[in-house]
Amino acid sequence: MEDVNLILESVKFMVLGMAVVFSFLIILIIVVNLQAKIIAKFFPEKAPAAPEKTADTDEAHHVAAIIAAVTEFRKNK
Amino acid sequence: MKLIKHLLLTLLFASFALTSSVQASGQVAPSAPTEEVKKEYEPKSITQLMGSFWETTGINAIVDLNDGERTSSPKGSNYEHEMNWFESSLGRIIMILIVFILFYLAIAKKFEPLLLIPIAFGGLLANIPLAGMGGEGGMLGIIYNMGIANEFFPLLIFMGVGAMTDFGPLLANPKTAILGGAAQFGIFGALVGAVAIGFSLQDASAISIIGGADGPTSIFIASRLAPELLGAIAVAAYSYMALVPVIQPPIMKLLTTEDERKIVMKTGRKVHRLEKLFFPIVVLMLAILVLPESAPLIGAFTFGNFAKESGVVDRLSNEMQNSLINIVTIFLGLGVGSMLAADKFLVLETLGIMIIGLLAFSTGTAAGVLMAKLMNKFSKDPINPLIGAAGVSAVPMSARVVSKVGSEAKPGNILLMHAMGPNVAGVIGSAVAAGVLLSIFK
Repeated sequence: MEDVNLILESVKFMVLGMAVVFSFLIILIIVVNLQAKIIAKFFPEKAPAAPEKTADTDEAHHVAAIIAAVTEFRKNK
Repeated sequence: MKLIKHLLLTLLFASFALTSSVQASGQVAPSAPTEEVKKEYEPKSITQLMGSFWETTGINAIVDLNDGERTSSPKGSNYEHEMNWFESSLGRIIMILIVFILFYLAIAKKFEPLLLIPIAFGGLLANIPLAGMGGEGGMLGIIYNMGIANEFFPLLIFMGVGAMTDFGPLLANPKTAILGGAAQFGIFGALVGAVAIGFSLQDASAISIIGGADGPTSIFIASRLAPELLGAIAVAAYSYMALVPVIQPPIMKLLTTEDERKIVMKTGRKVHRLEKLFFPIVVLMLAILVLPESAPLIGAFTFGNFAKESGVVDRLSNEMQNSLINIVTIFLGLGVGSMLAADKFLVLETLGIMIIGLLAFSTGTAAGVLMAKLMNKFSKDPINPLIGAAGVSAVPMSARVVSKVGSEAKPGNILLMHAMGPNVAGVIGSAVAAGVLLSIFK
């Protein structure tokens, strides 16, 4: 008798738990999608693009060339 | 047993000072009624010395079945009781063998060695007779009271895990978060199962969290809802996490067709840095609004992640990811190991926990895969059902398993990043599920 009650109780836990987990994640998905749209609108892809450029500029090449030259020079010394 | 130790010391000193004259009433036990009284040196014969030393050896403690040895509990002597014959002899030996098996699994099979080694060694220490290491004043007991009884260590671990987690794949494809939710069916399915085989609702809730495949969460919940089952729950959670590559693939293959496994998914879009930065805050806000009970877990997790994504406190986030999590892992392992003492671990419940844990894990995997199949029917971009299996957390192991099974079906099909989405959502999902269970028993 009591056994049956407990199982029913745990099934209720399951319904509650899964409902909360799913609604939490669904709200999360909605908010995240919304956030992505807002960010895309007000902060268009700039931040990630910028550092990539600097890494590839002539300056970086120059620096690399200088470093290579210096190490070569030191080796020969 | 402290008493015996004291006495032994006194006796040793006495033996140096005096020659062996058989004189005093050499009975050991009754001569020291109170502990505080300074004991006088009593002359002892060498045979008496030998005899009383024998009393304090581990061999005697194991062989003598009725020596009145007491169990040790970090909560203090009120919770200790005299061991029965099984706990003081055979049980210990069985536990030490189990510990050796855990060592083997950790070292030879590489099953979560970072946790199994400290846990198993803690178990070894906890089963040393007479030393009382798991007691209130023992090393393991101190560690247990320091951070496990009050649920502190799991939170620190969660902080480190947060600092290690990259939510990029989830943000690139947010709807895969649903899969991380579906896998939590494992938790609640196991809850029903555990109640069905006779656990109380509270114990069953603590056990079922194993289905979340999240070690820290399991320990967190167990130490609050069912501290006496903690050892078995932690060992089950970590063993099954280690067994992910063995348990999951058959279930995944059973529930999907060859064609479904071959589905190639579109590569995710590029995620803006700000999205990653705001994400932990968004999660925390939601947790505050919906389920404050999950705040300790989610709070620690999002703090770690926020520190990482902020990009300006690399020192702190590196600390959380490395030294801090390592230190806490050592303590957590040893503290959990103290629950592997024979009197706590070798009970019928442990067997039940192992079975329910496996059930929880399998149900979670199956639910994730089935949900992914369902989503694939309705989604415009194809979804490979395999990634549903990554919804049980076990980061990043289950995502790797998904990727492996995927590339077996179709070489070159890399599902890893797609699987990471449900994988990290699973961490959030199981923290939420844990919060629900806690709120029920508040």
